[in-house]
Amino acid sequence: MPAWNITNAKHLLSRALFGYSRKNLETALSTSLEGFVDNFLLANVAEPAIPTTWTWLNDKPDGGAPNGTRNNEMIAWWFRLMANEATSMREKMVLFWHNHYVSEYDKVNFPQILYLQNKLFRDNVFGNFKQLTKLVTIDPAMLIYLDGQLNNKNAPNENYGRELLELFTIGIGNYTETDVKQAARSLTGWQNNYDNGIKSIFNRNRFDSTNKTFMGQTGNFGYEEIIDIVFTKEETAKFLCRKLYKEFIYTTPDESFITQMASILRSNNYTVKPLLAFIFKSDHFYKPEFMGVKIKSPVELLVGTVKYFDIATADTNYMREMGRVLQQILFDPPNVKGWQGQRTWISTTSYPLRNQYTDAIVNNRKANGAATISRLTMLSYARSYKSSENAVQFVQDIVNLMYQFPISKQRQDSLLTTLLSGTTVANWTTNTPQAEQRIQQFFRTLMRTPEYQLC
Amino acid sequence: MRAFAHPLLLDTQSTNGKILVLVQLTGGNDGLNTLIPFEDSLYYSGRPQIAIPKAQVLGLDNNMGFHPSMGSFKELYEGGKMKILQSVGYENQNRSHFRSTDIWLSASNSDEFIFDGWLGRFLSQSFPEFPSQSPKHPMAIELGSTESMLLQSPVGPTSVAFDTPSAFFQLVNGSMADNDPPPATLAGDELKYLKQVAANSIRYANVIKDTADKVQNKVTYPNTSLGRQLSIVADLVAGGMETPIYLTTIGGFDTHAQQLSSHATLLKNLTEAIAAFQKDIELLGIADKVALMTFSEFGRRVKENGSAGTDHGSAAPMFIIGQTVKPGTLGKNPSLTDLDNNGDIKHQHDFKSVYSTILQDYFGLAKNDAKGILNRDFDKYNIFRNVKAPKPSTNLIELVQNYPNPFSQTTKIEYNLTRKAQVRFVVMDMLGRELTSISKGLQDDGYYSFDFQDSSLADGIYLYSILADDQRVTKRMMIVR
Repeated sequence: MPAWNITNAKHLLSRALFGYSRKNLETALSTSLEGFVDNFLLANVAEPAIPTTWTWLNDKPDGGAPNGTRNNEMIAWWFRLMANEATSMREKMVLFWHNHYVSEYDKVNFPQILYLQNKLFRDNVFGNFKQLTKLVTIDPAMLIYLDGQLNNKNAPNENYGRELLELFTIGIGNYTETDVKQAARSLTGWQNNYDNGIKSIFNRNRFDSTNKTFMGQTGNFGYEEIIDIVFTKEETAKFLCRKLYKEFIYTTPDESFITQMASILRSNNYTVKPLLAFIFKSDHFYKPEFMGVKIKSPVELLVGTVKYFDIATADTNYMREMGRVLQQILFDPPNVKGWQGQRTWISTTSYPLRNQYTDAIVNNRKANGAATISRLTMLSYARSYKSSENAVQFVQDIVNLMYQFPISKQRQDSLLTTLLSGTTVANWTTNTPQAEQRIQQFFRTLMRTPEYQLC
Repeated sequence: MRAFAHPLLLDTQSTNGKILVLVQLTGGNDGLNTLIPFEDSLYYSGRPQIAIPKAQVLGLDNNMGFHPSMGSFKELYEGGKMKILQSVGYENQNRSHFRSTDIWLSASNSDEFIFDGWLGRFLSQSFPEFPSQSPKHPMAIELGSTESMLLQSPVGPTSVAFDTPSAFFQLVNGSMADNDPPPATLAGDELKYLKQVAANSIRYANVIKDTADKVQNKVTYPNTSLGRQLSIVADLVAGGMETPIYLTTIGGFDTHAQQLSSHATLLKNLTEAIAAFQKDIELLGIADKVALMTFSEFGRRVKENGSAGTDHGSAAPMFIIGQTVKPGTLGKNPSLTDLDNNGDIKHQHDFKSVYSTILQDYFGLAKNDAKGILNRDFDKYNIFRNVKAPKPSTNLIELVQNYPNPFSQTTKIEYNLTRKAQVRFVVMDMLGRELTSISKGLQDDGYYSFDFQDSSLADGIYLYSILADDQRVTKRMMIVR
């Protein structure tokens, strides 16, 4: 069992959550690692409330409705859930599933249909991978996104069948082009119906009811049989495990650990919760070489920064705007493979935009001069630290909280110089007129660094 | 290797003073409805819902014709400014968008995995001082907010990505670079990447804006994403930017369903933006040093599917445009009887040969230098006119990608020496720490190969170098046991 100390707790919280506040860290360390994982990270939490204004959730899809505005509200709503996650990793896993079984608003077009998919992920968030794959296959948003609703016995559309194998279950290299074609035939017959709420229904007349030969087995397969066959293969378990590994540990999976993960997943008949518990309680997860090696996703940067500062009212519309320019638009990944993460987040444009966001959180003002809804009173925040009147210790405390990456003595000294901005350690106090500006400059500098982009 | 004539300027000698603009069509463009075999009855029988009626096709020579929304391409073709290559693809076509895109960007065979781009390798070979010294102008520019694998090199990212010069300038204004060396850890490697990208944005934001401010476009571009991207390229080239590589993108080509109207719009947007660009660079007086190339990860199935669309296929035509091309069509019309076992068009041209032709006949590289970038010798195609004899290679070492790669036990390392030198082979981890060193002693000029194996190395990606006298060439290899 790994040691349960501040270093390991920070590592766990920065990966399993979108970020953490000092309070979250205290919660974690007030119990054991085991207790924290089981009773906090993986706890069942109440289903989130739906805004009362969302009466359109039950509307029949209509191209003339203000769908874009509603979709924006949904993105802001999801950001709110993330910012309020506290110590539950539910929303992090909902986002993981969204990035696994991708659908794009750009093609689905109707927010109420995407809402149902988001709810499906939340309802099954720590549940069964195999069952979820079946549910996603006939999910109305997915039937639109990968053309399942157009797939029929006369001329199958391979779009969903291919991605089911390549991206959702077993992975490239483990199936043939014939398997893609046979899967497509087996997946025929499902269509959306909006007569009584948004549902998918099976239309026997469109189903190819002749025999298919898929991965060496022959029968009159439908989608459930196809998925059952794919889930007999160990490679399917490994495929998901590699994806989880990349999300939570490091970009290059360790194959011997993947084998252990896959065996846990299979021995639990594909239920994900025991696998997550295994990862977060493993010695492997806490290896020092993995600490600070992940490049924060835009969502981790946006939400995590708000959590560090205990900002009660996050500006979720601003987060939505910044998510867009930082290349992570919720409900609208760039393609069916989803966001690839790590270095793909970073470009000569996205890097300075990240700085623009963290500056705005400190300034309570966006780059265009408009005020943010979130208000951060820097003096009060600084004074909430016991060390606020001791500049050296204060810098140390903030670096310890906000960086996962060990920084050199020179760098820490340079941050101290920024904070002091002309005054001396002996003369430092938060009770001078310039103190607020100095602290703001210190935090802007601290968060503009490459180190702050790592978690 | 070639040194900078003036350390602060791009040495355009090493890229022949030429500029290549790439237009990437993401999603897999339906080649058969782009360049249409309108006299082939199999085209019509395979596509009852989505075939373009013969009367609407814009006929060219050889019973091929453009889609009706490509009138501006017909003008370019008939004006002698376009080379069409029929059925471009590769052996064992991969039908995954993502894998096939990687294959095109990295110039790998379909069974090998390379983690950087062919143009990234070209640039890092052409500017050997990079990254310890960076040229005054960016080595490559991407329009957009992400950086493509195409321009990743073994020594780091070679490109600058932005939406518009002025927005980029405002964004970066006031940022400061940080020159602390990162520690030799896995996280330190990520930190190094972040620092390189941040430094690139700071280094180039000014010169990009200043260059863009110097000249104005001389034509009005279509108000589309690609139109805006190409107008910026023309503006920068005309303003004197010496950057040899530009990457632009147009998305939406994954037409699985109801493709008739969407594909028509895509082709209109594609071709009208390119035609405006060509006209603009002619009026700006820079057309003699610019060529444009389109590519997409694959073409689409000959037979339509049940939803009036097409599924993932294989070979498709490529277009190379500019005053430097030898106009006309290369290759036969695609055969719709001799298909592969998936019902897809067989390739006549390997895209890696197209790359090899560009490197040699356009950028003026010696054959062996092109081989060093593409890892093998490829046939050249007859694409460009006035091809000069290549400059003699001044590289001492030509190192070919190891084969097989990835490998489990043994892989072949091949290199060529252009003169006698003291040679050493080293394997390093991704942080550049030497794990294995094999001295080869003093070797005469000529070709060498040996089998490498080291059972002490765990699964993973490694760097390997040939060092000869004071020169070094590095590539990556992957072990999967």
